[in-house]
Amino acid sequence: MIKAEHYLKPAWVRRQFELVLPLLPTGSSAALQLGGKRLEEVNEAGHDLIEGVPGVQAFPLTLEGERVGVLLLCLPAGSKIAQTQAWGGLLAHTLQGMLETEHERHSVARETLESYREMASLQRAVTNLNLSLKPATVVEALLKEFDGRAADYGAVFVCAVDSGNYGLERSFGKDAVQAFSQFKNSFLFVDMAAHELGDIVNDLSSSKLWTGEVPDFRSLLWLPLIAHGEKLGLLVLASRRTEGFSAADLKRAQMLSAVAATALRNAQLYAAEQKMFQSFVMVISTAIDAKSPYTAGHCRRVPEIALMIAETVHHADSDQFAGFVLDEDERNTIEIAAMLHDCGKVVTPEWVVGKANKLDSIANRIHLIALRFEVLRRDALITRYRALADGEGQESVEAIYQERLRQLDDDFAFLQKCNAGGEFVSSEHVRRLESIARQWWTDACGENHPLLTENEIYNLSVQRGTLNPEERKIIEDHAVHTINMLSQISFPRSLRNVTEYAAGHHERMDGKGYPHGLNRDQLSIPARIMVIADIFEALTAPDRPYRQPGTLSWAIDIMHRMKLDNHIDGDLFDLFLSEKVYLTYARKHLAANQIDEVDTSRYLAGREA
Amino acid sequence: MSKNAKIAIVDDEVYIRSLLEQTLEDLDGEPEILTAANGAEGLALIERERPQLVFLDMMMPLMNGYEVCAAVRKNPALADVVIVMLTAKGQESDRVRGLEVGAHRFVTKPFDPDEILDLAREILGSS
Repeated sequence: MIKAEHYLKPAWVRRQFELVLPLLPTGSSAALQLGGKRLEEVNEAGHDLIEGVPGVQAFPLTLEGERVGVLLLCLPAGSKIAQTQAWGGLLAHTLQGMLETEHERHSVARETLESYREMASLQRAVTNLNLSLKPATVVEALLKEFDGRAADYGAVFVCAVDSGNYGLERSFGKDAVQAFSQFKNSFLFVDMAAHELGDIVNDLSSSKLWTGEVPDFRSLLWLPLIAHGEKLGLLVLASRRTEGFSAADLKRAQMLSAVAATALRNAQLYAAEQKMFQSFVMVISTAIDAKSPYTAGHCRRVPEIALMIAETVHHADSDQFAGFVLDEDERNTIEIAAMLHDCGKVVTPEWVVGKANKLDSIANRIHLIALRFEVLRRDALITRYRALADGEGQESVEAIYQERLRQLDDDFAFLQKCNAGGEFVSSEHVRRLESIARQWWTDACGENHPLLTENEIYNLSVQRGTLNPEERKIIEDHAVHTINMLSQISFPRSLRNVTEYAAGHHERMDGKGYPHGLNRDQLSIPARIMVIADIFEALTAPDRPYRQPGTLSWAIDIMHRMKLDNHIDGDLFDLFLSEKVYLTYARKHLAANQIDEVDTSRYLAGREA
Repeated sequence: MSKNAKIAIVDDEVYIRSLLEQTLEDLDGEPEILTAANGAEGLALIERERPQLVFLDMMMPLMNGYEVCAAVRKNPALADVVIVMLTAKGQESDRVRGLEVGAHRFVTKPFDPDEILDLAREILGSS
């Protein structure tokens, strides 16, 4: 559109008027009308300077054959018309010449500005296309360059890596998904998919490969997306009118497609790497779970609890957690750390991991002891028969025999109880163990042995639980192994905290945990979350060798004591309760008989609001 | 945009003045566009006309953009003048120096016409 009113400056026009008017009779006036606007007027006589008014001479100004304005002149009554015509013609000629020059200059400038604009848009596009490492985002950025500007419709079809089939990845336009699904069924699409070069189809109705699959499509521009010699997909733009695309459009699309293809390739490679890494993590985590049937699913459930807590912390208003932001990287880091937190257990012997009884080694040795007791029972029987054979009184023999059996049964019952590890073993208990051991039995070779070996006494004397100090050390070493193993993985920057988060799950807020004895201030929020997730999962796990599955209230009560003990983070635990994270998890993963009422007010009472 | 907005373009390159002027013609409200071809002329123009917005080239004869900018900032009467520096150099230190003498924004040459228009609308719209 010609904006003639911008071509001439009022000051310059006034100067022209001032140069010409002195040559006309005194009281003459002039005005310039351009683009429907009164640009300048010199009218001391107060003439009615309007085209068509009698006495007003009009000199039209044109550009490209169109009238864009008019010069108006008015002379005092009685002046010679010929003179007006001559001077008016000269003035109009000057204005016309200037208009044409300015028009030319504006056209050249417009072209230049257009190319500036194009360059800036390409710069922006190239930046935008390389902003993300997500294939979908790259494709979206590419289409955005055409949406609402060059094309009515647009779509990117992406080649599946394994099958080579094209799938519609993203599109724009009215009912675009349906339109391009139809389009994909055309012969034209098949033909495009087979070509290495793109093109423009000015009029689809003239194409033999087109049977009007999408009535709205009248012309097309299409380009394969090629990077590193590999065809990754297809860009298709469609217009509702014929000849909707110019050579310049194709050139621009080619340039953008080349950039987009490289970005898409990078994104795909990155996604493949990510996937491979995730599958490695999955392999390790399932290996740990598979190793011990008792803790099966632990490495699968801990990430879920940890992320639930992390999500709650992310949304918490509290100042304590202000620094914590659960963005995508942090989420990945926590998930991977939680999946790998027990990876050190792959080197822990499984009989220690799942040691159900104190006498378990590779086998539960209580059965060996049971056999020895059987030997002693039979010894008693033999003694009884011998005494009877020797003619001793039946009544007293029988009483001695029964007393001996009762004593043996009692001892063995005591050993079984010790073996189970459910009760605290006192020094009195240890003395009884030693006295039981001082009974002797004779093996097949006729050799005498104490009823319990040194090692058996040592294991049965374990005060709490089933693990002796050496075995406990082995278990605790898994945390060290976890750290050693994870330190060998060169995590990308976005996952650099995995080791720290995973390694801290056995630390305690009071610094009495293992392996490093770090305290609350030395542990990150995610590491502290990991402590809670690990404990909560272990307490509520459906199958643990040393006890029945725990109820929710029992688990929360134990954890509350751990909070008071400064074992777990109190603020996180309070949030875990107040936001009912435990319940959300329980409803999803625990058996109905584990889920009982938890009176959180008991634990949260006295907490500052 | 206020009806009598004034925009000044101070640049020694005639084609930049011309292209900027033509770009700004697309603004609504027909702001008055004034031009100057060197720093000294530009400063005089700014002091006389008090435009709301000045596009000021950094490298110019007689007085460079920094000096013009510093002079404008020293004049309390011109406190409301928004200065956008035009630069062919993209170096960070140039920008820092420009900000130090009181420029509000930077636009690199060759400029993006849409960026210029958005900027002008933003500045004149809020003035």
